[in-house]
Amino acid sequence: MRKGFGKTVWTVPFLVLCVGLFSGVAAAAEPPIVIGAPLATAFLYGWDAERGIKLAVEEINAAGGVNVGGKKRPFAVEVIDTRDLEPGVPVSEALLGVEKLILEKKADFIVGGPVRSEAALAAMDLLSKYKKVSILTTGVLTPAYHKKVEANYDKYKYCFRISSHVGVMANEFIAFLGEIKKGHGFNKVYIMVQDVEHARKGGEVMKKMLTDKGWEVSDMKVYPTGTTDFSVGLRDAAQKKADILFLWMDMPESSILLKQWSNMKLKALPMGFVNAAEQPGFWKATKGEGEYLIVNLVNGGNAPAKITPWTMKFAKAYEKRWGLEPEGYGTSSSYMAVYTLKEAIEKAGTIDSGAVVTALENVNLMGVYGKISFDKKSHQVIPSLDPAEGAVTSIIQWQKGKRVQVFPPKTAEGKTLLPPWMK
Amino acid sequence: MEILLFGVINSVTLSLTALGFTLVYGISRLPNFAHGALYVTSGYIVWLCVNTLGLNYVLGIVVGIVATAIIGALMYRLIILRIRGMQISEIIATYAIGLAIIEGLRWGGLRGSTFTLPSFLAGSFEIGGIAVDYQRLFVLGSGVVVFAALGLFVKYTKTGLALKAIAQDERAAMMLGIDSDRKALVSFALGSGLSAFAAVLILPLGSIVVETGYNVLIYSIAVSIIGGLGSWGGAIVASFIIGFAQILTEVFLSTQYQMVISLLAIIVTLLLKPSGIFGKQKELDDRV
Repeated sequence: MRKGFGKTVWTVPFLVLCVGLFSGVAAAAEPPIVIGAPLATAFLYGWDAERGIKLAVEEINAAGGVNVGGKKRPFAVEVIDTRDLEPGVPVSEALLGVEKLILEKKADFIVGGPVRSEAALAAMDLLSKYKKVSILTTGVLTPAYHKKVEANYDKYKYCFRISSHVGVMANEFIAFLGEIKKGHGFNKVYIMVQDVEHARKGGEVMKKMLTDKGWEVSDMKVYPTGTTDFSVGLRDAAQKKADILFLWMDMPESSILLKQWSNMKLKALPMGFVNAAEQPGFWKATKGEGEYLIVNLVNGGNAPAKITPWTMKFAKAYEKRWGLEPEGYGTSSSYMAVYTLKEAIEKAGTIDSGAVVTALENVNLMGVYGKISFDKKSHQVIPSLDPAEGAVTSIIQWQKGKRVQVFPPKTAEGKTLLPPWMK
Repeated sequence: MEILLFGVINSVTLSLTALGFTLVYGISRLPNFAHGALYVTSGYIVWLCVNTLGLNYVLGIVVGIVATAIIGALMYRLIILRIRGMQISEIIATYAIGLAIIEGLRWGGLRGSTFTLPSFLAGSFEIGGIAVDYQRLFVLGSGVVVFAALGLFVKYTKTGLALKAIAQDERAAMMLGIDSDRKALVSFALGSGLSAFAAVLILPLGSIVVETGYNVLIYSIAVSIIGGLGSWGGAIVASFIIGFAQILTEVFLSTQYQMVISLLAIIVTLLLKPSGIFGKQKELDDRV
């Protein structure tokens, strides 16, 4: 009895002391700034964005956090799977995800997606309703996103995009093809695109721009998602003596196309926007049959390259953290979005949406893929072919198992090579 | 020549993917909506055997086919047997199993397009000036062998004859001492094994991605409906109709209408012959 009483006597003050200490610590720590990340995590553009965001958050927190009006606050990330890249999943799923992040997870900012254009466009109204600043980093390639901001600035001013879009990519391809034309005398292009909105638009834009630039476009084939045989189209391209095989596809089956191209030894250089060929694992997956393919990774830094002093630092940090090189579209832009947000919050001195919008409009940060600044009317990141002037792309060619940056010229680390059967 | 060659290859590929589904329905009248999921699963099992366990490729293929057949048999024994005869429940249950498998694989890490199986023979050769890769020829040859082997199995083996008897008249077969449930289990295992066989032949052409499971299921259903549910001969004829329709669409119209043409073929077939080309289900007049 006496022994038990003694224990109680000591235990009560100990507990009181513990509670006091912990509450003291809790009061001293500043609440985190919550980043909500709506992403299609089962797909490359979702999981690489998640990794990019988390890496940036970990680095920033390890360095002390974000200085908000003199107080250091850490970032916290809440990721939700929007499933918007899965076939048959309605846009409403992604919208529910965004709303859940805002209302349940109490996200202060949205970074990342939604990833599919239709979902991201629909989410703009939600962001406007809740006055949540969002930086779109992955997936969405439609120019409609920033045009919508420009057309109704007051309503959609909370929406920013730090990655590229079809319009810019098409111009980059045209400039790159101009170099190839000059170097090899090529003149005929055969276009193959996937039957989805961004790919059809991309193909149409390219067809028009190429024709305007004096190229002969032999044909444009539109393939349903899931196509597993491209023999007829490839044979047609061979018969029409195409020099360039221009592709715009995000389906995994595009790797079949490249295997067939390699097996047929088609005398047309393949290039374009090919999701399956972005990842470092593409080489192993195709047993090297995708060699010489040229791919637009949308933003610089999505493959290791010396674009700015930060690019290789990022690539090494990514590899150390996740065990592989930056994977593809969505990686570097998602990483940079967090740093850009940090910069804006620190300049604003608050996390108030209105103040952060103004700060983001005036951001000027030398990042992983060049100078990051936004157009003040459309909130689209300003592109350039020079990293000192704006955000640059990364057009790479698969050469001996590596993704070698071949465009833009100021960041190129290798020359464009032709397959032996084209020489 | 181009249309003929690619049409035949495309048709055989389609019939190979649909054969397992048709076989199960033909024998046990059970619609296996997990067919596409089993197709992807078998590819993933082979991939795991080769890349994780370091097994020989051929051994990996054998393990993949046998394991998928066992999964199919277990599916029947543990779940389908309990609801057999309740058609809606059968559809819902098999579809749910398929979804669970596909989403489980996705959750388990089967994401992206870097999971691939090696081709049996790399490279291509020319027939009449048309380049065809060896793997597709392998698919073509294997398809013909499988159809022939299946025909012989059904005609000359005791199990095959029993399966045929059940497919023709289940009650009469039971009166002759054939265990219907046991044979349905065999048909599930065989159908699942066939889907695995198709997968190991076709998947080396591209990557193992979970979405393929949905495509395989859609095409299997399309082929079965056009050919007549449960009719093996019908499935082969339907595969040729869809296969050639797709190639003709690609050559003379546009590739983007391939799926439309396939679906149109289903609608036209259902309008002209609701039970499918070789279907033996009762016509509307008999059913009303």
